[in-house]
Amino acid sequence: MKKNVFIAAGITLLAGSFLLISNTAASDDYDVKAFGPKSPIVWNKPVQVIFEHRTHTDDIGLECSACHGELFAMQRGVAERSGKLTMASLADGLFCGACHDGETAFASNSNCVACHEIPEDPIVWTKPVKAVVFYHKAHTEDFGLECDSCHDEAFSMKVGAAEKSPNFTMKALYEGKYCGTCHDGETAFASNTLCNTCHIGAKGYDRLMGIDAHPEGGEKGHSGH
Amino acid sequence: MDIKNLEKEKNEGIESLPSDERRKFLKIGLAVTGVFLGGTVLSLTSVSTAKGGNTDSVIPAEGQYPYPKHYSMIMRQNNCVDCEICMDACVETNHVPVGHGAWRTTIQERLTTVDGVEKREFRPILCNHCNRPPCVRVCPTRATYKDPETGIVVMNYKKCIGCKTCMAACPYNARYFNHDKYAIDKCNFCIDTRLAAGEKETACAAACPADVRVFGDLKDTSTEIYKLLHEPDKKIWVIRPECGALPNVFYMNA
Repeated sequence: MKKNVFIAAGITLLAGSFLLISNTAASDDYDVKAFGPKSPIVWNKPVQVIFEHRTHTDDIGLECSACHGELFAMQRGVAERSGKLTMASLADGLFCGACHDGETAFASNSNCVACHEIPEDPIVWTKPVKAVVFYHKAHTEDFGLECDSCHDEAFSMKVGAAEKSPNFTMKALYEGKYCGTCHDGETAFASNTLCNTCHIGAKGYDRLMGIDAHPEGGEKGHSGH
Repeated sequence: MDIKNLEKEKNEGIESLPSDERRKFLKIGLAVTGVFLGGTVLSLTSVSTAKGGNTDSVIPAEGQYPYPKHYSMIMRQNNCVDCEICMDACVETNHVPVGHGAWRTTIQERLTTVDGVEKREFRPILCNHCNRPPCVRVCPTRATYKDPETGIVVMNYKKCIGCKTCMAACPYNARYFNHDKYAIDKCNFCIDTRLAAGEKETACAAACPADVRVFGDLKDTSTEIYKLLHEPDKKIWVIRPECGALPNVFYMNA
């Protein structure tokens, strides 16, 4: 008798859980065929961009053919590989720019953070000297700067563009270029002061990157007494 | 003289000594006692190495540079960003072995948190080429010495027996054992690798992108280091002044 009670209880529980699963599936009735891939599309080139199919199809009600065909190929990664997926081409009405022109949808040169994420991790430059850190969030959240405060006049959006330039030096900063645009002693602290606010040094770089620079207990960076 | 038979010898007594000799002997006794009472033990050591400092400042007094060319270095410390380009230049120029705790110059880092904000401070260090170098004083073979021409503390690798006493004596931890040379090695202000070739700067000073290190001859009043060191109202300090080693590496903020 006892055995039967357990079996009955088990069956009830099982049935209940199946019901629960089917219920949640019903409440999240996402039709991949109608709305496109559920997970966001992430482009990494030239910079990271996140695109949600869902907000465009399910929320706004666009058809697949609204974009697929002329603007974007169905095949994954085509736009990214083409090398033409740039803000400049968007401004010319290509890709996202077909709708994001300021009339149909918000202009592609506004509302940056709708598609671009503000990097959480610091930007770390190792050239010409090791190493300089820049925190986006400190400048946007703490000091209330907009993306276009620095991009693209002081800094290109493209990763590593400043570092590749032979002109990315303290001298250029003193002349009001790069960080020197604001770090002039008036808008923000002068770039020839407080060196170690941005310069974290070779040891700081190793720490940040989790590099054990001297695993054999060597004392290259030995902090002495 | 056979020392065992000495006690069997007849005592000559003081009667046979002339009174002049006795007087001289007493004078020596009084002089030595006087030194211990009125002077210091250090006043017995050679005066030439004790020059270059006065009691109330770490900066050598005007004209108190004991060497014909008195090389020294001043660091504009707050300019240092720990890029370690100086360290790489030194290793390359002076063939400093990698590992085994060997360095001729390095950068110390101090991290502090002030009001929740992390602050970092960097300090380049190297041999201080002291005017009164403890390493030279302890060397049993005189393998390390003050170069009489430049005041640079140099090594004679052939004489070094590798006892490491100088390593222990150095207040700045600026010496290492060179396994290739099988001798103690250290910074020598690039005396052999650059100064001998007519260069005016050490490798580290030449490589520094932030003009932290200023190297030069203090005897020459036209040098930048002379001007920086004798700039009025500038705070200048040395590391571990309490050791009394009279270091020749100075620090200031730019």
